[in-house]
Amino acid sequence: MFLHQLYGEIRKLFARPRTYMGYGAFLIMELVIVLVYKFTDGQYYMRRLIERNGFESDIYFSSLSLTFLVMLFSMFLLGSIFFALVAGDVVAKENEDGNLRLVLARPISRLRLLLVKYTAVAVYTFTFVFFVGLTGYLMAVMAVGWQGGLFIAEQKMKVFAVYPEWGDGIARLAIGAAGIGVSMITLSSLAFMFSCFRIKPAAATIVTLAILFVDMILQNFPFFQPFEHWFITWRMSCWLYLMEKSISWPKIIEAYVFLGGLNFTFFMVGLLAFRLRDFKT
Amino acid sequence: MSAMLEVENLYKTFAGKPALEGVSFAVQEGEIYGLLGHNGAGKSTTLGIILGMVAPDRGEARIGGVSVQRERANALKRVGSIFESPCFYEYLSGWENLKLLSTYSGPFDRKATEAVVERVGLTARIGSKVRTYSHGMRQRLALAQSLLPMPRVMLLDEPTDGLDPEGIKWFRDFILGLRRDEGITVLFNSHLLAEVEQMCDRVAILRQGKRVFEGAVKGLGQEEKIFELDVDPWDKAAEFLELQGCKILEGGRVAMPDDLDPALMVAALVGINVRISAFTPVRRSLEDFYLEMTR
Repeated sequence: MFLHQLYGEIRKLFARPRTYMGYGAFLIMELVIVLVYKFTDGQYYMRRLIERNGFESDIYFSSLSLTFLVMLFSMFLLGSIFFALVAGDVVAKENEDGNLRLVLARPISRLRLLLVKYTAVAVYTFTFVFFVGLTGYLMAVMAVGWQGGLFIAEQKMKVFAVYPEWGDGIARLAIGAAGIGVSMITLSSLAFMFSCFRIKPAAATIVTLAILFVDMILQNFPFFQPFEHWFITWRMSCWLYLMEKSISWPKIIEAYVFLGGLNFTFFMVGLLAFRLRDFKT
Repeated sequence: MSAMLEVENLYKTFAGKPALEGVSFAVQEGEIYGLLGHNGAGKSTTLGIILGMVAPDRGEARIGGVSVQRERANALKRVGSIFESPCFYEYLSGWENLKLLSTYSGPFDRKATEAVVERVGLTARIGSKVRTYSHGMRQRLALAQSLLPMPRVMLLDEPTDGLDPEGIKWFRDFILGLRRDEGITVLFNSHLLAEVEQMCDRVAILRQGKRVFEGAVKGLGQEEKIFELDVDPWDKAAEFLELQGCKILEGGRVAMPDDLDPALMVAALVGINVRISAFTPVRRSLEDFYLEMTR
């Protein structure tokens, strides 16, 4: 029964035009990146970065490395907007449009209804990351061909790794995409929580993005460095540890337990707010 | 007959303002019960409490003996509801809306859904997006979703608002047919007094959150015999009728006690040389009664 309800919720999610805004925006962005990369001297900088680290640019200047960069730079800044938009809408918009009254007249508990909606949002978030990864990779293949290894260098989380074999590189990129997908669910959970409050859908989206950006800004202040473990975006960036040659599972588990705890808290606060509300015309 | 739907001593306050103050009523199985009242009288709040969408400060609603406040899912298993201007998912088809809403009540039954769609006359357009539907079609879709799964109790909140006369009649006949064929119990909340008069067995009138009347619709306001008189001279006739125990009302109307025979009064007036041009019984409409109760 839960799966039928979930299917209906996902069908509803994907029947709304605004759900596709994110897909469209990412496709355009990826196309621009690939075009600029191919037809300007963008390649030069990347080749130099690889060679400066003592690696052969012919191996690591590849579609895999390019896909990694697209995901690294775009997901938190652009992806977060669409995750917040969709998750911020999922309850608040239905309340605004009056659909919720039809649903709540049915013998479904509010807990179950929110579980269905939350799961749909999590599925959307997770699959969206894979969509970005896949389309980014396909475009990168069109630009530089499919062969080559994966080069990873990220200063903030201090992650550096190389995978000369295409097979190892694509597998690690897929694991990394799964990690981003799970990380981004925390952002969707935050927007979902606000969506359960008695606020406009746009407000749920804006408040979520405001929190995310404040968190990112503060985290980058040098004197906040001792507290970086407490920042949501720092924990969300822990997916990068999945890209290390030798995966440090304790670090990763700690980060995802922290994020899981946040997700649970956001859901419960949203549920509490939702259960206390009266729904009336 | 047993009470299929009961509300008992409901109290609700919104932002410090009382919306309901001790409202109680019971609807018997197979009965159509009307809930009347001005805007803000508490009708929608009562319906919200019955559906578990609004939490009462005090009191309880029971459907089939099951408390909505304590066992909501169980109580609402066989309840269908229709709201004024039902808000469907505009970007989905009528069929998808029915399928989606049905899954919140139980497993989706394709055959039952097809039968209901045919019954409400939407088969030809059920595959179209709801955004292309007219108000009448939306109301038919609302009716279809309320019948999935087939309910024992229907809660109708201003269901005929905005419908044309043909649509109103179709809707009324449909609900009356459901009661006749399926024995469905109906709580009908409407501003359209003529509709209530034609459909309901009993009504409750709410004013400022309080129930000020409950009774059968038939014979409502007929507890006194009222006549409109066109007589000459009026003063002589009025004086005579008052002596007989009648009450003289405004506009040439007279309220006659039950024990007086109007035919004998006419004869007596003729006997004292009063010329009678008209002596017409006046039927007090539900509207007159409603306005008196809510004034």
